[in-house]
Order: sequence, then C-alpha cells, then structure tokens
Amino acid sequence: MLAYVIRRVLIMIPMAVAISFLIYLGLDATPGDAVSFMLSPEQMSGANPERLAELREALGLNQPLFVRYFIWLWGLLQGNFGYTLTGGVPISDLLARRLPATLELAAVALVLSTVFGSILGIISALRRGSATDNTLTVVGMVGVSIPEFFFGLVAITVFALNLGWLPVGGRSMPQYITFWDRLPHLVMPSLVLSIMMTAGVMRYARAAMLDALNKDFIKTARSKGLPEWRVNLLHGFRVALTPVVVLIGFRLPALIGGSVIVEQVFQWPGVGSLFVLSVRNQDYPVVMAVALISVVTVLVVSVVIDVLTAIIDPRVRLGN
Amino acid sequence: MTTTTQLPVNDVALSVRDLKTFFYTNKRCNKAVNGVSFEIRKGKTLCIVGESGCGKSVTASAIMQLLPTLSRIEQGEIVYHSERGDIRLDTLERNGKAMRSIRGSEIAMIFQDPMTALNPVFTIGFQIAENLRYHTAMRGRQLMDKAIDLLRSMGIPAPERRVEQFPHQFSGGMRQRAMIAMAMACNPKILIADEPTTALDVTIQAQIFELMATLKREHGTAIMLITHDMGVVAELADDVAVMYMGNIVEAGTVDEVLRRPSHPYTRALLDSVPVLGRGKNQDIRAIPGSTPDPFNRPKGCQFADRCAYKLDACETALPAETHLSPTHRVMCVRHEEFANGVRS
Repeated sequence: MLAYVIRRVLIMIPMAVAISFLIYLGLDATPGDAVSFMLSPEQMSGANPERLAELREALGLNQPLFVRYFIWLWGLLQGNFGYTLTGGVPISDLLARRLPATLELAAVALVLSTVFGSILGIISALRRGSATDNTLTVVGMVGVSIPEFFFGLVAITVFALNLGWLPVGGRSMPQYITFWDRLPHLVMPSLVLSIMMTAGVMRYARAAMLDALNKDFIKTARSKGLPEWRVNLLHGFRVALTPVVVLIGFRLPALIGGSVIVEQVFQWPGVGSLFVLSVRNQDYPVVMAVALISVVTVLVVSVVIDVLTAIIDPRVRLGN
Repeated sequence: MTTTTQLPVNDVALSVRDLKTFFYTNKRCNKAVNGVSFEIRKGKTLCIVGESGCGKSVTASAIMQLLPTLSRIEQGEIVYHSERGDIRLDTLERNGKAMRSIRGSEIAMIFQDPMTALNPVFTIGFQIAENLRYHTAMRGRQLMDKAIDLLRSMGIPAPERRVEQFPHQFSGGMRQRAMIAMAMACNPKILIADEPTTALDVTIQAQIFELMATLKREHGTAIMLITHDMGVVAELADDVAVMYMGNIVEAGTVDEVLRRPSHPYTRALLDSVPVLGRGKNQDIRAIPGSTPDPFNRPKGCQFADRCAYKLDACETALPAETHLSPTHRVMCVRHEEFANGVRS
C-alpha cells in the first residue's frame, strides 16, 4: 500500500509539470498580454512603442515561451509563486488569504452533499416506486439540470432581500471574530454549491443501492434472520458505498472549480473569484498558480480515491 | 442415523399443504406454485426435482418468507413443527421478529452460487458470526472461536487463517463449505439447499453432497434439496417430489419414484439421464418441446403437449392426485398403466 502511494505521488510530479506547461502554452496563445490590460486603450494608442517594449522587458514578457516557463517553474520549486503583474502583490500572500475561504466553502458543500445525497438516495432506493421515490427523482433531475447561478440568485432574492434572514454576500466583516459570526455568510453559498452534487450523489446512491439490494447476498442476509436495517444498511449500503465514494471523490475538484460561479454570485473572496479576475487581466502568474492548485487537487484526489476504494472494497488490490 | 420417534406426527419437521404462490407482473399473474403439498421428515432428505422455472426455488423461498415483493402466498399453509409447537410460517410477517428468529437458527438456507450469495466486503468469519450474534448468547471472542470450529468441521484447512479472509479469496468449493458452515452455525432443524452445487465442478459437487450427508447423519438435520440432477436424487434422497409447472406431479420415497415411476414426466426425466456402463451409444432421450408459457398455460395436464401418452382427457382438466401407496402419489390419468410397468 505504502509503496503504491509513494509511486503514485512520484508519478504525479511529471504529470503536474506537463499539465502546467500545457496551460502555460494555452495562456500564451491568447491574444494580448498583461501590458495591454495594464494600460487603458487611450494610453496604449498614444504610448511610445519603445516604452511598451521596456515595460514588457521589465515584466519579463519579451523572453521566449520556454524560458519564461522555466523561470516560473524554478521560482515555484523555491517556493515562490511570483508576484501579480497587475499589482506586484506576492501571489503566496494572495493564496494564503483566498484559499482558506474556498476550502471552507468546498468542505461544507462536500459534507452536506455527501450526507444528504446518501441519505436521500438510500430512502429513494428502499421505497422504490413510491411517491417519495418519484418526488426525489424529479427533484434530483431539477437539481442537476438547473445551473448554480440561478439557484444563487433565487436564494439571494428570497432569503437575503425579501426575508432578510441572511446576508447577501461576502465572507467576513471587521467585527467578526469567531467562525459562528461568519456562519450566516456561509449558509447560502455552501447550500447552493452543494445542490448539484447532492442531486448527483443521490441519483448515484439510489442506483448503487438498488443494484446492491438485488444481489443474492441480500437474500442470504435475510435468510440468516437479520433485522431489515442491518440487511439494508450494513449489507446493502456497505457494498453500494464503493461507487458512491468514487463519484464524490471525482466531483471534489469540480466542487472547487464550481465555486468559481458561486463565489462570483455571493461575492465570496475565494480562489474562484481570484481566478476570474486574473484571467480577465491576463495576469499569468496568478492564473498559473490557481491552475496548478486545481491540477494538484485532481491528482491528489485520484490517489486518495484509489486508496479509499482499496480500504472499502477488499476485492480491490492496489498496484499491479 | 439418529433415532427418530416412530409416531408419524412427531416424525415431520415441516409440512406444506396446498401451497399456492403467485407472481404479479404488469397486471398478469404467474401461478409459479399452484397447489403443492409435501412433508419434510425429521433427519431425512427430501429432493425436489424439476426443470428450470417449475417452482422449486419459489417453494423454498415461500417457506423462508423470502419471496420477492411482487409475489405472495395466495393459499395453503406452511407448518413448521417446532419443539415449541406448530408454527404457521405463512401467517408470520415477512421480515417480522417471529420469522427472523426462525430464519437462520431453526430453518437455514444455502444457495446456488456461493460467490454471489456471500457478501464480498465482509470476512467469512464476520458473516458466520453475524448468524450466531442474532440467535445465540455468544459474544466477542466466542463468536470467532465458534466460526473457526464451524469452518474446521466443514473440512476447511487452516480455519484460523481462513476466518479472516474474504469470499473472493476462497475457491468455489470452499465458498460453498463456508456457506454451509454459516447455515449450520445454529444447528438448524431444517436445511434448505437450493441447487447448492450447480455452480461447482463435478468432483467438488460430490464432496459437498458427502458433507451434507454427514451433517444429516450427525446432527439429524432435515434437508430439502432442490436439484435437477437425477443422479443426486438416487444418491442422497429419502423422499422425492417431482415438480412440473407449479405442481408436484409425482412424489414418494426414493424407491417408489425411481423404481416405479408412474408419471410420464418422471419417466422422461429418468430416460434423459445417461447411465454409466451402458457405453457411448446409449439412447438418451431428451424431452421434446419446452415448458409452456406460464401466462398461457394449458387447461388440463400441464405436461400434455410434451407427453407421448396423451389422451383427450388430459387436455380437459388437471388430473386429480391419486395415492398408489400411503407415500406414493401421482397426478396422471394413465397412472395405473405406468404403475403396472408399461414401457413405450
């Protein structure tokens, strides 16, 4: 197990480098550069081409692509994410401020969607064909089909503007000290972010559960005289758990990525809104840093899923 | 052989009377078991024989109250003659407390394919211990010790190690032994075996049957064995019931049914089995045609369309059951001719 994990982690390094290079390549292919966004169009048209070239040289933009990439990579290896082109702020400071906000949002949404998704999926499967099951199926369909920004806007209109129960957006205020002070701000974004995944987990848990309940070992469990809860939850759900865990794992990066929209809607000061802002400004170092975080998340999560699957399902053997 | 009391009433472990079990799909009704009566004698083996879809497994499931939700016992009674008195199993709530306390402890069941019948994510020891936990006062370490004992008595080598392994680490034969260990954990009065060797190869089949014969001898367990292998019947059975399309067409002791088969279907089944020593050119007669559509049954004898001895009377009504001896009964209008030894 340990050897397997070490091997997988070692493989992750060249993969992360290769993917980050592809992203770098893609960014380079977009028209314009940071300079064209730093200056207003009026300044651009009136500017001295030599001054622009100087500015580009000062920012290191005149170097060839490979050289720029390796300078960035070298800095990264030394623990230096670089500075934003648009303000000269250290990116590590920026991430240190923004990343916890996004992780907080994603973690709460993950827990909510896992718990509710699984419970609703189990209920749906156990009452297959009933009114409850049909209602949940329809609600699930609606949940996966309607985009998050819509739920976000509806939630803001109803709970913040009309009822005034919850704040419209943001994460914190200067007078807030504890987590409980901030909690009202967290409610809407995390719920909205978890809707789609809850619906997904529910549909998946239902299918996996029905599949498990149709297996012969369920009949065996009943033939041993076990009570129904034990037959369904221990023998049934324990087996249905494997595909559900895999689904949740692979949705995790999507949860962090999906926060881009929710963070915009609720003015949540996380990595998602930072990403949108820096793409708009063609601020390569920031875009690269955020992209790298999500690349590493995906890679790490896939190893974690493999290990978890091996723990949950004894038939799965890691390695060759 | 354990001594059984001679009184006929105390001799019976379970009796089924006129059992009807129907399946409902798309507003159509499949009369899977259509009036079946038999008795399982204490410490004896009853073999139920018949081709796929004749209602053998449904009968077994009905006794255990393990029928799928879309089916139900329509009529008849299933009486378990326990030490506490007679219990009408068919009236008990499906997964209710009373039924659960009998399942696994007094009536246990083993299934066709031990690979799918064992839960892949729990150890063999856990699955055996589960049965003990719910029916005995054993707890903690005792459970595992007992599981190891059971595996050892089923002839599984190194049970101390095996008990911690998962089903996929067992071979097919070992899995079925583990399954039997699980079923025998609480020393049940009745063991229902639903084609326990169909998924196993022939040498392993023989070992499993030998094991079952030993259990019957040592524990006095009554066995209801569902099979379609006439060789197994000859080897293991004390009593035989031949099922066809939801009816028992012929039943009796193994001698009566195998030596004086009085229903054309029984005879056809026996003719379709190759006999060792008769050489490779022996005439094995397959039964012509196939079983009728359960939703569109013949009005009379269900076997009439495939029967070489069909009369007009066969097509009008289901033949009545006739007793040839107190134990031997048959459902055929021409049973007298067959009983007297008419051969085609």
